[in-house]
Amino acid sequence: MSKVQEIATAVENGKVKIVAGLVQEALDEGTPAAEILNVGMIGAMAVVGEKFKNNEIFVPEMLIAARAMKKGIEVLTPALKAAGTESVGKLILGTVAGDLHDIGKNLVGMMIEGAGFDVIDLGVDVPADKFIEAMKANPDCKIVALSALLTTTMPAIKNTIDAIVASGLRDTVKIMIGGAPVTQAFADEVGADGYSEDAASAAELAKKLLG
Amino acid sequence: MNIKEELKVVGELKGVCFGARSMGNAPKHNTPITPKENFVRFMKGEDYMWTPCSDDFVTVIPREIPDTVARDFAFDLDIPEEIIHAGGKDMFGIEWEYVVSAGGSMVRPGNPLLINDITEWEKEVTFPDIDSWDWEAAEKRLAPVTSDDRVVVTWFFNGLFERLISMMEFENAALAFVDEDEQEGVHRLFDKLCDLYDAIFDKMKKHLNTDVIYFHDDWGSQRAPFFSKAVCDEMLVPYLKRICESAHKRGMYIDFHSCGQVELLVPCMIEAGCDIWSGQPMNDRLMLLEKYGDKIKLNLSPNAPMVFPKTPEEAEAAAKAYDAALDEFMSTYGRFMTSIVVSAMQAGNPKLYERVYTETREAFAK
Repeated sequence: MSKVQEIATAVENGKVKIVAGLVQEALDEGTPAAEILNVGMIGAMAVVGEKFKNNEIFVPEMLIAARAMKKGIEVLTPALKAAGTESVGKLILGTVAGDLHDIGKNLVGMMIEGAGFDVIDLGVDVPADKFIEAMKANPDCKIVALSALLTTTMPAIKNTIDAIVASGLRDTVKIMIGGAPVTQAFADEVGADGYSEDAASAAELAKKLLG
Repeated sequence: MNIKEELKVVGELKGVCFGARSMGNAPKHNTPITPKENFVRFMKGEDYMWTPCSDDFVTVIPREIPDTVARDFAFDLDIPEEIIHAGGKDMFGIEWEYVVSAGGSMVRPGNPLLINDITEWEKEVTFPDIDSWDWEAAEKRLAPVTSDDRVVVTWFFNGLFERLISMMEFENAALAFVDEDEQEGVHRLFDKLCDLYDAIFDKMKKHLNTDVIYFHDDWGSQRAPFFSKAVCDEMLVPYLKRICESAHKRGMYIDFHSCGQVELLVPCMIEAGCDIWSGQPMNDRLMLLEKYGDKIKLNLSPNAPMVFPKTPEEAEAAAKAYDAALDEFMSTYGRFMTSIVVSAMQAGNPKLYERVYTETREAFAK
């Protein structure tokens, strides 16, 4: 097994304690940082996402894989910067106004980070103008992801999208939405560019939206 | 057997309030044995006469238990207005906040955690002094509803995983279930929680005359369990088993409330000794009844929306919708009436009680 494959296996299995060491060994052996990132980290997290979707693994295993990846990224980051490797893109994420639920949002953020994005997490109960403020502060942001867990807070998704349209920034980003009561039909109705039903699918959707 | 005579209303039983809303008084029927006696027989599988249903139960959750107010789930009498939707500190001092859009309370994400390091939680957690809760006041106030012939159901917040989430947030709690460095700390905490819950169950039996503990522990999201069966077997089942034993040794039953798509974990509930499971409709409950109906009972009710009609037209529409839901319920679950109890949450609905009583009384008498 190659060192990069060893890293991927360790990330998939959440071997938090050994990933950093393996990444360092791979770098010392001259493996390009981008290869370690794309195969050992992002590739591994894609496998994790697929297994999660298929109920072969569950939230704890996904979380511990993400934790293992973070340990690897800490070692890898200086090498990535030195090589000029850029992230896939920047994504702004938050749970909409009136809704305090963060579990689903956090899992989505973690999987999207695992897919190579820079994630700006605005937290929960985020008013529309805070999303717009974040978009203005991050003009290179490519995707805005909105979450709502409750039927009672779903209208805040529409309000947020309407506010983004009114701000004139709608054409600068793709908007994806999700949460327990959210459906593709609702996404179509409120003018979102995409909907996903779980964290793993959200990461796939984010990549797809970038084209 | 004269079912019409048995269903005759011979008295009125006092109802509790759920927060600001009165649940209404319940009719006392002329049943040949008491609802409580029938329920115990039903759970033991011995000579029961009908499927325990709605009006046979009364739910009490006294405000003296801090979690009742924190989570906004008081089923009580003479509830002071200031505790409704108030939130506040639970029995471990964790602050809960009532969220209007959710219609319930939650711990605000980002609040300081009670447990920052599960491996040393003993340094951070102070267990409650349950003797300081005024159980005598609760007993005295609730005696009019806990001392009749109905089955007393007492909800218990929070369970094990829910408690861990409240103490260290969801992600940290889930991770601690599989991180070998943290698992031991979780085991020690759950061990101590079992002792605490055992002591609380004792108070509930003594002061509230509780027959059924409705034990809250959500184990899944709308699409899947939070954790695998193997993780559940290792991290939760041994403790849930102790909790069931705590109830059983006092002659109480456990109705395990667990939301989410958790079909996969039903064997864990059975292994632990849960008597009843209150699960959500996204589970294939008919399949589960076929497969496990002889090992655990399901708590079910007609799938009718909870509405509060304001006009006669709305009331008529709601009645029609309920009739349809009741027909659907009886045609779907009718053949499993020995494996289900019909929810206390729809108490006060004469149609439901009469239909379930009549059909099951006739069937069981044969």
